[in-house]
Amino acid sequence: MNENRRQILEMLAEGKISAQEAERLMGALGDESGAAQQEGAIKRQAKYIRVMVDTDMHAGKNPTKVNIRVPMQLLRSGVRLVSLIPAQARVHVEDAMHRNGIDLDLSQIRPENLEEIVDHLQDVTIDVDDDKTKVRVFAE
Amino acid sequence: MIPLRSSVVLHHRSGWRVWVPLFPFWLLLILVGAVLFPLVVLAGFALGISAVRAYATGWRILSAMKHTLVEVDDPEVHVRLSFA
Repeated sequence: MNENRRQILEMLAEGKISAQEAERLMGALGDESGAAQQEGAIKRQAKYIRVMVDTDMHAGKNPTKVNIRVPMQLLRSGVRLVSLIPAQARVHVEDAMHRNGIDLDLSQIRPENLEEIVDHLQDVTIDVDDDKTKVRVFAE
Repeated sequence: MIPLRSSVVLHHRSGWRVWVPLFPFWLLLILVGAVLFPLVVLAGFALGISAVRAYATGWRILSAMKHTLVEVDDPEVHVRLSFA
């Protein structure tokens, strides 16, 4: 039993509210918790990554808006491309990355690891807001 | 399924509007892929990758592009690329 419900029952027991009012309050709590659960479920089921850029006309240039929506499924499908890289090509790719300061062992990367990263993108929210430009990146 | 109803729409502020369906492009891509499949199989033997797996991944990516949207709204022109 959560705290709110307990308080309602205590008020009812003390005679501060009637049974009808207690029932109404309980119902309202149920709607709120249901809405919160629904919101959580929607968040967990985020299907797209959205990128929205809005430049301000006060920047001296004409305002421009950019709206990009990328399905999560596309990101998941794209990470599978890593598994298609042939073994002999991986050595060349790793050498090239090493020369550019990136020490990454492609053989250690598994599709399921990358999918875990994609799954965590569902919780990503980035807001950049300065005088000239607004950038929002979020999952929906 | 690949996004058959995808299109590019350009809408200029002066009034002209261009709508380009991408369906012919997808059809051409499938035809080229079918024609090149034997070559991809041979190349796959040499490189150590599975042509079937590569094609399956490509198909999965194309199918996942559904509902991708890129929209740019400029004072001069509005561009909308939609993979519906």
